[in-house]
Amino acid sequence: MATTPSNMKGFYRLKKNRSGITKPTSSKKSSLHLVRSLGSDITQLTALISHGSPDLKDYHDNHEELMRQFDMNMAYGPCLGMSRLARWERAQRLGLNPPIGFEGLLKAEKPLAVVGCTTAADLNQMLFLT
Amino acid sequence: MTAMEIDTEKNIQRKHSTYQSLDKTFDIQNEIYRGQQYSQIYFARLHTMRTLLYSLVTHWKPHVPVCTVLGLEEGKECIIVGTLFKHMQLKPCVLDEYSKERSAVPLVKPHNFMHPDDHLVLEDESGRVKLGGTVLSPSTYVTGGVVALHGKETTAGDFLVLDVFEAGLAPQIEPQLKSREDKYVVFISGVSVGSSTLNPLQFQLLVDHITGHLGDEQEQGIVAEIVHVVFAGNSVEIPLGLLNGQNLASKDQSRVSEAVQVLDILLSQIAAGVSVDIMPGSNDPANFALPQQPLNRCLFPGSRTFNTFNSCTNPHCFELDGVRFLGTSGQNIDDLKKYSEARDELEFMERTLKWRHLAPTAPNTLGCYPFTDRDPFLIESCPHVYFVGNQDKYGTRILEGSEGQMVRLISIPKFCNTGLAVVLNLRNLECHTLSFGAQPSTLKTFNDA
Repeated sequence: MATTPSNMKGFYRLKKNRSGITKPTSSKKSSLHLVRSLGSDITQLTALISHGSPDLKDYHDNHEELMRQFDMNMAYGPCLGMSRLARWERAQRLGLNPPIGFEGLLKAEKPLAVVGCTTAADLNQMLFLT
Repeated sequence: MTAMEIDTEKNIQRKHSTYQSLDKTFDIQNEIYRGQQYSQIYFARLHTMRTLLYSLVTHWKPHVPVCTVLGLEEGKECIIVGTLFKHMQLKPCVLDEYSKERSAVPLVKPHNFMHPDDHLVLEDESGRVKLGGTVLSPSTYVTGGVVALHGKETTAGDFLVLDVFEAGLAPQIEPQLKSREDKYVVFISGVSVGSSTLNPLQFQLLVDHITGHLGDEQEQGIVAEIVHVVFAGNSVEIPLGLLNGQNLASKDQSRVSEAVQVLDILLSQIAAGVSVDIMPGSNDPANFALPQQPLNRCLFPGSRTFNTFNSCTNPHCFELDGVRFLGTSGQNIDDLKKYSEARDELEFMERTLKWRHLAPTAPNTLGCYPFTDRDPFLIESCPHVYFVGNQDKYGTRILEGSEGQMVRLISIPKFCNTGLAVVLNLRNLECHTLSFGAQPSTLKTFNDA
């Protein structure tokens, strides 16, 4: 099947996710929109989200990106095998000051954000695909 | 000759005490396995202990800065807090099965895996660093304990340890001082009903003694002061040949449950008169990983009808008249014996209290449930009595803490081997043993010269 060169970029999505996994900067104060753990600001976030590939997940929206950054933040411990809400509650109990608005966000997003947890397959996708 | 009268008027009342079980943290009924790994429990352990150690370390060496492992600078003295890992070359590794030089590796397992070349490594989320120096002796420590270390990084990249700081005994709640009368708690461990080493008469003697069927009035009066009995693990021993996974012939099926049925009969005799706790042990029909869940009540159809009968978890924590008890069936100390050395079992027990962790080697070498949100073996409140069952010999002493805590350490010997039960007086936490012997009498005939 012949593909014209102009189609190649769209055919093979080889773009790296620009947000990536950068070094976490330690910060006690985090708010819902400015997830400082990865040092990104809100303008960069919205730009990324519009740039993001739509075929990754069904529920992919701007909240999902924030949740993934929460998952990747090492300060709150391992993320595999735990629901996000459970991990948030553990962080809260251990005094790690997780972003406060998050709890509301997790409970509002039913049911996947609360019940679903990051699996190894999710991590794979996050790290190695666009 | 007057006929023997049965005194129905002189009923000796047994003393009563308030019992409260504190086993909720060891219950895994509500836990859901979601594919988590043991990193979760290590994270919870490190974080809880580190927060505690950071607050204590400011009083220990106030002028030395605290940093993480990755933040170490060469030559600069600082304090780091992390989980210890002991690298042991003799520790059995699953990969040994696949190693090519099979003949060189001895397949006989030694009872202790220590080696002079063992070294310690300190690890936190940022990294790990090898520990050097002579202050920290690897034979004393095991993988899984969380400590604070004062030292500096050497040019070789090791951390030269100058001083060690352990959390020490947890804060202890003062037992409420009531009108203290003598009340006794009996500990038995390793009864092993169904094994060939147990002399059933010895166990029956114990049961008869506790229920007041032995001795004269004075003896019964002493026994009436027993308020609680604890079976600390290994109460049955099911013949191993029957447990190899094969389908059992119908004649063998009854043999499997025989031991438990006999235990139930004897337990119901005890439960009829005094409150009794039964903890699972390594040989009991309970789950393998710690915390072991209570033995199923369907195993004890006779005893469970009594509200004095409690099937408990291992480890077991409870309060009796305000005195806090904490104990295990021995797996935690037995595992420490394999990977470290000490004078006696009591010293191992002392270490676990000072590290504030019941079973530091879990989950490394001791089976453990992968908790995600907590580490239930952390000792938050120092008990007044700390007991460990299924040990080789009886031992006891008082351990004193830096803030006035006092703990009675008890090492309970296996009843099937020694015939000893341990009795503790709630009033002054003094211990003594109850020894049951059943010597076969020698028949003397008149023909002997």
